[in-house]
Amino acid sequence: MLLKTKKLMKAFGGLKAINKVDFELPANEIRGIIGPNGSGKSTFFNLVSGVYEPDPGSYIEFDGNDITNEPPHKVGELGLARTFQLLRLYQDMSVINNVMSGYHTLVPYSFIDAVTGRKKIWDQEKTIKEEMMELLSFVGLADYAELNASELSGGQRRLLVLARAIAGKPKLLMLDEPAAGLSPVNVDNLMKILMRLKEKYGLTLIIIEHILKVVMDTCSKVTVLDHGEKIAEGTPTQIKDDNAVIEAYLGKKMDDEEMRKALAV
Amino acid sequence: MDKFKEIIRQYPFLGFVIAFIILMLVPSVFFTDLYQSHLASLICINIIVAAGLNIVKGFCGQVTVGHVGIYAVGSYTAGCMFLYLGSGLWLTLPAAILIAGLFGVAFAIPSFRLEGPYLALATLGGGEAIRLFIENGDFFMSTYGISNIPQPEIFGVPFDTPDKYYYIAMPIMLMAIYFSFSVLRSSVGRAFMAVREDPISAAASGINVKKHKMLAFVLSAMFAGGAGAVYAHLPPGYIHPNNYTVIEMVTFLAMVVFGGLGHIWGGIIGAIIITIVYDLTRPLYEYQLFIFGLTIVLTILFMPKGIGGFIDKYFIDRRFKTKTGAASK
Repeated sequence: MLLKTKKLMKAFGGLKAINKVDFELPANEIRGIIGPNGSGKSTFFNLVSGVYEPDPGSYIEFDGNDITNEPPHKVGELGLARTFQLLRLYQDMSVINNVMSGYHTLVPYSFIDAVTGRKKIWDQEKTIKEEMMELLSFVGLADYAELNASELSGGQRRLLVLARAIAGKPKLLMLDEPAAGLSPVNVDNLMKILMRLKEKYGLTLIIIEHILKVVMDTCSKVTVLDHGEKIAEGTPTQIKDDNAVIEAYLGKKMDDEEMRKALAV
Repeated sequence: MDKFKEIIRQYPFLGFVIAFIILMLVPSVFFTDLYQSHLASLICINIIVAAGLNIVKGFCGQVTVGHVGIYAVGSYTAGCMFLYLGSGLWLTLPAAILIAGLFGVAFAIPSFRLEGPYLALATLGGGEAIRLFIENGDFFMSTYGISNIPQPEIFGVPFDTPDKYYYIAMPIMLMAIYFSFSVLRSSVGRAFMAVREDPISAAASGINVKKHKMLAFVLSAMFAGGAGAVYAHLPPGYIHPNNYTVIEMVTFLAMVVFGGLGHIWGGIIGAIIITIVYDLTRPLYEYQLFIFGLTIVLTILFMPKGIGGFIDKYFIDRRFKTKTGAASK
């Protein structure tokens, strides 16, 4: 298992944001996480990536390492990358610098090398930059490399966030609503790029998404959260027919015709 | 010209050798009296402080108003080492850098929990505490100040007049700029910017936020401490607690803000201009704090990225245009 949580718990005061969630994810899978607003999806991400500290008794394992109480940068170093719902781009940095800082953990030279400014560093920096430019052209942002991130459009920002997360060559990539606010064409485009990146870098993915079409089309398995608890897990087809899920999230059971309409969003 | 630029980019050290030769020739060509040399040395010293301040404030985004305290630590390390041990600049400079670095650690700790104006208040308190401590300690010659701090000699040649001291201050400044450029152009500089822009997503990229805040504070404290030591030995070699007040801090800040926060050349351009303006407005002593405060406010309002930002914008716009132009052909 690449990622495993046991009895994952987090309470904010009296509110149990995540309540005893057991989660297992083998490598190379694309897992979707769905659930109504406030069901604990983002909290789950924040717990796994170390932004929040889980309550005692929880256990998180990533790639064979116990990361239960590790700080976020340690988790990042181990190869777990994530994006944020609010993007959290480095607004005042150029696009290329945004991506290059995602590469931070893989930079081959030490701090002392950097201070003394030896020539080999500039060669290595050049290689890094070329590699990152390649990644940028892969997501289609190469022409904007020298612009500030704040000058990009909404769709481009989502692509940049993706590129930054992948720059560090992670084993697991957790995407928090990657397609939120995108037009249908852009959603398709983003998902296409995402699938190509997955193939190229051998990624394992967890996707939180409200656009069900994305989840149903791309994910091999879906986990459903409600009120901090896992209420269902299975293939998209199983989830679609699960009564608990329908009650909590989908609203009502639909026949195939209605479903097709709803998913065409 | 492009080829020349490429060579400098490949061998940054070569650029500094050229700058060194040019700056060596400047006094004999342009300077007509000793005072101009004195001013040039002061500019060198202020550039060191501003380059350091740019690391912590401009790149790492940590608001510190206590740097003048660390500058004082550097000066008084040099002053006291002369007073009690009889040391010269070649000993006091590394000692001042080291001790200032330790103070940098102390100043970094509040930044783990405080941000923005709260951090500014904490560091302001720290800086003022250092000044008051010096002002009230007999060990530091309290209000009399330390005088007759000697200038260094190289191979028996004394550098004891302002025109000669420039040749001491200038190479030290170039070294400081070289180190700051090396750091800021590397992955460490990028990590500083990432911490400034968004610590949470920086951490998600595997950047140790606390470590980099600490690094930025210590590095810039070392710059300030070194500058303080060079200042202490500046002819006539006199330091007094009154030289390390909030006015000086505002001037340092004005340099970095005016030159361009987070711009690699920012502090340097700002230090040159502000030092000259500071000197020209000396007769208006009581209005200086007002003038530089106003400079900071106006710069932030109308030119948020300072002069450096202007240069950047021009170059980037041009590059972007040529690139898309080529793509559309």
